[in-house]
Amino acid sequence: MKQQTIIVRIEITTLINPNGKINRRKMDRLAMVLTNLHNSGMLVMVVTSGAIVLGAEKLKLPGIPDSQLEMQAIAAVGQAELIRWYQHFFNDYNQIVAQVLLTSDIIHFPDRVKNTRNTFNTLKEMNIIPIINENDAVSTADIEYDDNYPLALIVAKIARADYIVIKMDMNGKYMIVPRGNQRAMVVDGETELQEKLESFGQEMVSGNNAREVEFPASVGEIEF
Amino acid sequence: MDYRKVLKNKKRIVVKIGTSSLSYPNGRMNFHCIEKLAYVLSAIRRQGIQVILVTSGAIGVGAGRLGLTERPVELSKKQALAAVGQADLMKIYQKFFEEYNQTVAQVLLTKDVVTVPSRNKNSKRTLIKLLEMDIIPIVNENDTIATNEIVFGDNDTLSATVAVLVDADLLVMLSDIDGLYSADPRIESSARIIHSVSEITPELEQLAAGAGSSFSTGGMITKISAARICLKAGIDCIITNGSDPAVVFDILQGTEVGTHFIARNEKLIDHV
Repeated sequence: MKQQTIIVRIEITTLINPNGKINRRKMDRLAMVLTNLHNSGMLVMVVTSGAIVLGAEKLKLPGIPDSQLEMQAIAAVGQAELIRWYQHFFNDYNQIVAQVLLTSDIIHFPDRVKNTRNTFNTLKEMNIIPIINENDAVSTADIEYDDNYPLALIVAKIARADYIVIKMDMNGKYMIVPRGNQRAMVVDGETELQEKLESFGQEMVSGNNAREVEFPASVGEIEF
Repeated sequence: MDYRKVLKNKKRIVVKIGTSSLSYPNGRMNFHCIEKLAYVLSAIRRQGIQVILVTSGAIGVGAGRLGLTERPVELSKKQALAAVGQADLMKIYQKFFEEYNQTVAQVLLTKDVVTVPSRNKNSKRTLIKLLEMDIIPIVNENDTIATNEIVFGDNDTLSATVAVLVDADLLVMLSDIDGLYSADPRIESSARIIHSVSEITPELEQLAAGAGSSFSTGGMITKISAARICLKAGIDCIITNGSDPAVVFDILQGTEVGTHFIARNEKLIDHV
């Protein structure tokens, strides 16, 4: 069976407490689940948000400022914090992670797409999970969208991924968006997630030509 | 005229540190140097001088993290190691700067900050905003998507680009080279450091290109071209040995260390 590549999109709101601090128990659980998926033979790549929230926390700001410029500066502080937390929790499961910062306009620069794809492939060979975020300090796209789904789609395209997994909440609900399959679905719990991904993988290998189809239009219009 | 005097009045400086200063010859991290760098830059910041640190070293740290004993040759492997190592490198900087209660930020740039106007504007605004917030931005090349700096120059060019971008008034390049020598010090015992340069002449370039000046990835040639970028923009530039980062204190007191590339501009005329 072909190795499946999964983009896991994480929204920071599912990992922090109302006071803006990291919820260690949830983050630990996430690192465990993802390392486990990785260990089972799937290629896991994480697209995360959170630089601004953690930057504001670090600087002890009362809230997130409205000004885009301030958000960019805060993101530069918070990104360092964010990757530090990911490293910290993945380290407990002996999983090495790498930081990759991209800007959404990358898709218009074939050289960069190639470089990034090469890096992804090498990280894959080295058994390292990339933790990907928008490079907020130099770009404004993510802040404008306030949503990292477009970035997840771009990463899926570059990495030629098979699925995007969206963690819905911390009660163990996930949405799986398969490539070339209109049936985006919600699954309950990590075991079901793993089972579903495996069965999807087998379906694809057994000659389903749906792989030629793009992601459902409802989740983005980027060619994949 | 004592051109070093102008260095006492600097308000916004860029300090570039090379891999050779951040790590031992065996490739392992030199925490002593990094701690001292954090101390020196935090102290300078407290004096009211705005500081940007341009750092190398992500690939070396990544190699150490993965237990590799040699730096890889393949480009894609270097990029992967940089993605691992940059995260570790920032963690180390954060740790040491935190000891001096100094907040730092990570800014990863590609060289198109110069050529793509929208990116130029965003990067510049973000860096200046960080400086206004009393934060020290730590800048490196975004190796994952760009490949230039990995191949050329150990961030020398990047540091000059940043200095121009934020309109700095001084760039200090710390490496394992004491400065520009009048001849190869390993061959000629009469060789001495040229302490000030007011014009980058072909003879000077010849000296830089000579043997014995390419200790680090960048060597002297990329440092000279970084200096040229600075001079063109009216920014003073110092090349000196960074084994003890406290040398930055000396530089800002006008002490004659390393090689000073003297910017000829109105700022200079005002102060001398």
